Amino acid sequence: MTAESASAASESAPAEGKYVYCIIRNDRSREFGEIVIGSASRVYTVNHNDLAAVVSDTPIVIYDPTRENVLAHEFVNETVMREFTLIPMSFGTVFRSEKDVTTLLKSTYQAFTDVLDKMQDKIEFGLKILWDRDKVVAAIERENDEIRRLKDEITRNAASSTYFARMQLGRLVEAAMEEASNRYVNDVHEQLKEVSAASRSNKVIGDRMILNAAFLVDRKAEKQFDEKVKAISLQYEDLLTFKYTGPWPPYNFVNIKLKLEKAT
Amino acid sequence: MGLLTNILLAPFLGPVWGAKWSLDKVDRVVKEELTDDTPIKEDLMALQMKLEMGEIDDAEYVREEAEIMRRLRDVRDWREKLGMSIGGGPVRVAGSDDSE
Repeated sequence: MTAESASAASESAPAEGKYVYCIIRNDRSREFGEIVIGSASRVYTVNHNDLAAVVSDTPIVIYDPTRENVLAHEFVNETVMREFTLIPMSFGTVFRSEKDVTTLLKSTYQAFTDVLDKMQDKIEFGLKILWDRDKVVAAIERENDEIRRLKDEITRNAASSTYFARMQLGRLVEAAMEEASNRYVNDVHEQLKEVSAASRSNKVIGDRMILNAAFLVDRKAEKQFDEKVKAISLQYEDLLTFKYTGPWPPYNFVNIKLKLEKAT
Repeated sequence: MGLLTNILLAPFLGPVWGAKWSLDKVDRVVKEELTDDTPIKEDLMALQMKLEMGEIDDAEYVREEAEIMRRLRDVRDWREKLGMSIGGGPVRVAGSDDSE
């Protein structure tokens, strides 16, 4: 974590707080090396029984979710993930002291344990699908007789073609595009169902995206999932762009509502 | 006199009440706008997407990110001023205190 992009209050604050990256199951203390950018240097664990919080020392500040900070947070989780099943903490979670972190582990022990059991050997992959509007429209015109006929007619009689005909064409194309989008998305979900344990669809970003999903995958099935995604992206390579990321910690599949309050 | 007062004031009471009502509403809408970071976070995700798709370069990203961070801080400031909860900053388990 770099302190430069944190709030102004950071300058005088001593590095007494604990930034928590994730929770793992490990009954002894553990160091994860010097993988934090900036002032704090070591990443280590705060333990309670067989649970451990992976932390680093930090001033008591609010971290802005800049790319640099978010990448540092993710980098630690990725490193930990190579060896452990983990419950990721939200970006920017800072506790005042080691004792406060221990209190978290104690008070949430059962929920953490349950989720760690459920997420054992599970990893997450992200899949975003974007389409090229022009190509999809072209494909629709090839496949849809009514649209093709109407378009030909409008092109042939460019001067005399009515506003109504153009409107109708626009509406037909819009409807066909929505239908196509649903068809692609359903097909992708259907094909990935057999190689994933769960999936979650998030809100799409921007107007080119038709799918923004996360998939929970068993570590053992990672290769199969991988191959399946590659096969699907080949199947659609003329129409769609696939943005495939991971493996991630199960960010989208862990939902523990921690009862946290502002520490003054 | 009484009647006259009523008549004289009547036209005022109407619009004044109306204005107060709509000011309350404006106040609420403004407050919601000042304290809601959802659209800002969406802008941040859209910006990240643009970078990933190669639509903008690193320099442009950094420039726009700084603006988004400024907006996020503004929302945080307003939430603090209005006594609302804020994401980030030091936290502890609710109900726990130092004597524990």
